[in-house]
Amino acid sequence: MSEEHAQLPARPALTAESWATGYWGPTEPDLHPAVYAVRERFPDAFIDAINFRDEMTIRVERARLREVIAFLRDHPDQRYNLLTDVTAVDMVRLRDTPRFDIVVQLYSIPNRVRLRVKAGVDDGETVPSLVPIHAAANWMEREVYDMFGIVFEDHPDLRRILLADDWDEGHPLRKDYPLRGFREYVQPGFTKPAPRIRTRLRRPQ
Amino acid sequence: MVIDFSQPTPVEISEERQLTASRREMVLNMGPQHPSTHGVLRVLLTLDGEVITSCDPNIGYLHRGVEKLGESHRYSQFVPWTDRTDYVAAPSNNLGYVLAVEKLCGIEAPERAQYWRIIMGELARIASHLVWLGTHALDIGALSISLYCFRERELILDIFEKFCGARLTTNMMEIGGFSRPIPPELPEMVRTFCQVFPGGQQDYEDILSKNPIWLSRTRGIGVIEPEVAISYGLTGACLRGSGINYDVRKAQPYLLYDRLDFEVPLGSHGDVFDRYLVRMEEMRQAIKIIEQCIDQVPTDGDLMLRGSTYTIPPHDTVLTTAEDMQRHFIWVIKGFSPPKGEVYQAIEHSKGELGYYIVSDGSPMPYRMRLRTPDFVNLQSLPYMAQGAMLADVVAMIGTIDIVLGSVDR
Repeated sequence: MSEEHAQLPARPALTAESWATGYWGPTEPDLHPAVYAVRERFPDAFIDAINFRDEMTIRVERARLREVIAFLRDHPDQRYNLLTDVTAVDMVRLRDTPRFDIVVQLYSIPNRVRLRVKAGVDDGETVPSLVPIHAAANWMEREVYDMFGIVFEDHPDLRRILLADDWDEGHPLRKDYPLRGFREYVQPGFTKPAPRIRTRLRRPQ
Repeated sequence: MVIDFSQPTPVEISEERQLTASRREMVLNMGPQHPSTHGVLRVLLTLDGEVITSCDPNIGYLHRGVEKLGESHRYSQFVPWTDRTDYVAAPSNNLGYVLAVEKLCGIEAPERAQYWRIIMGELARIASHLVWLGTHALDIGALSISLYCFRERELILDIFEKFCGARLTTNMMEIGGFSRPIPPELPEMVRTFCQVFPGGQQDYEDILSKNPIWLSRTRGIGVIEPEVAISYGLTGACLRGSGINYDVRKAQPYLLYDRLDFEVPLGSHGDVFDRYLVRMEEMRQAIKIIEQCIDQVPTDGDLMLRGSTYTIPPHDTVLTTAEDMQRHFIWVIKGFSPPKGEVYQAIEHSKGELGYYIVSDGSPMPYRMRLRTPDFVNLQSLPYMAQGAMLADVVAMIGTIDIVLGSVDR
C-alpha cells in the first residue's frame, strides 16, 4: 500500500442508526407545517395546497419558486434538503392557462417527509433555475428544457440532454407532439416511408 | 420532411474542436462504445497531461421515449416497458410502477403477494449488485471476479425463469399483485440460494477486500463529501457511502419492510471503496430479508387482489362466474380508469431511489408518466468526482456510480 493511502484515518466498522417508526406528516393541508411556513413567509406567492393520497402539493407563483425552495431547505424546522425530482407537465388538455406545471419533488432527510411544490408557467415564460441552491437540478432542468422547451433563468448550461444537440423537431413531451414524430423515415432498402398505423384506442375527451 | 438513411451524413468539425487542437489541453472522447462505460455513455474529457480539467458526460444514445410511450399505453400495458429501463434489475422497476398505480387507485396487494414482491425485489437487488461488482472489478483489472459474480447471478435468473419464464425482462408483477401462481418448488429454490450465496460472496471478498491493487485503485478515489452528496441529489449506495442514512425502505417503508429486521450499512469516507463496502453489506442484508420473508410468507392465499375494478380478475373466477368474465373482458379491452390526481411513489432500487410520478386525468391512460431513475441523477456527480483526478481513475468513478444506460436515457 502506498504512503498516501496509509495516511488515511482508521476506518470504523459499518454501522446503522436505529430508526424510530416512520413519520409521514399530517394529512390536513392547514395542519402541515411546511404549508403553514410557506404561507406565512410568502403570503403573496402562495396559491393553495392540495392533499391527495397523503401527498402534500403546494402551488406557488412561478417567479418566487427558487425563493420558496431555498426557504424550505434552510428553514430549521422544515429542512427539505434533498431535491428528488424536477419535471414538468403539459396541462394543455386540462386547463387553459398557464400551459405547463413545473413540479419539484422535495424530501427532508432529517424529518422523513416528502413535499411537492408546483408552479404554473406559460409558453414563452421563464422559470428561475434551482441550480444555485441544488446542484441536482442541473440535468433535470436540462431534461425539462429538452422535452418541454421551458427555459430556466440563470442555468449554467442549458442545452439538450437526451435528444441530439441538433434536434430541430421541437419538444417531444408536449401534448401536440405526435407519438411517432413529425418526420417520415425511409428505412434502408425501401423506397418510401413505412405506413403509419392508426391506433384504435382514442383518449376520451 | 423525409430522411434517407442510404445517403451519407456530412460531418462538420466544430470551431471548438478546431480550437482545442491549438491549445495545450487535449480533448479525449471516451465512449460511447468504450467497454468500461457500461453501455453507451460518452464522456468528453479535457486533459492536461494525465490530469482531468473538465468532464462532460454526454447521454441520450439509448433514449427511447419511455415517458412519451407511457402516455399512450394503458396502465397495465406499461409494465413491460418498465423492464426495459433498468434491465439488470427488472423486478424492482416493475415493483415501483405497480406500487405507484396502486397508490393512485387506493388499493393494496394481498399479504402473500407483498411478501413475494419483497423477495423478488431483493433478489433483483442482489443480481444488480453482482453485475455491478463484476463489471466494476473488471474495469479496474480484476478479471476473475466477474466470472464468480455471474455464477451466483445465474441462480437468481433461474428463480426468475421458474416463476415467470423470463430471465432478463421479467414483466413479473401486475397491478394488484401477481397474475401468475407461485410454483411449488420456488420457496425451496430461494432457500437454496440463501444457503449458497454467502459462500460465493466470501469468494469475492477474499479476492478483493484485502487486495493491495484493489485498495490502491479504490481508497481515496472519487471522494464525495456528505454535503455535496445531498446537494447533487444522490441516493442509494452513493449517498450512504458518504455517511448519510437515507434508505426508502427504512425512511418511508413500503410493502411490509416495517416488519422485517435489517440494517442500513453506511460508509464514512465517501470514496469508491466505501461504496463497494456498502453494496457488499447490502447484499448480506438482502439475504437476511429474503430469509425472513420466506419463513413468514403464507403458503397459500391470494396473490391478486379480488373484487376490485382496478385489477385483473383471478383466473379461477373468470372461468366460473359471469361477472368476472365480463370484468376480465373490459379490463383487457378498455383498461381501467383511476381517479383524477397525481402520486409520486419511491422505492429503494438497487441503485438508489426509483420514483414514478403519475398524473391521472381519469382516463385509462396516464396523462403524464415520469420516471425518476436513480442513476440519471447519480451520474451528475461524475464531473465533480473527475475534476482534478487522473485519467485512469475515471473508469473506477463511472463504475462506482453503478449506471445502466437504459435507465439513464429512458
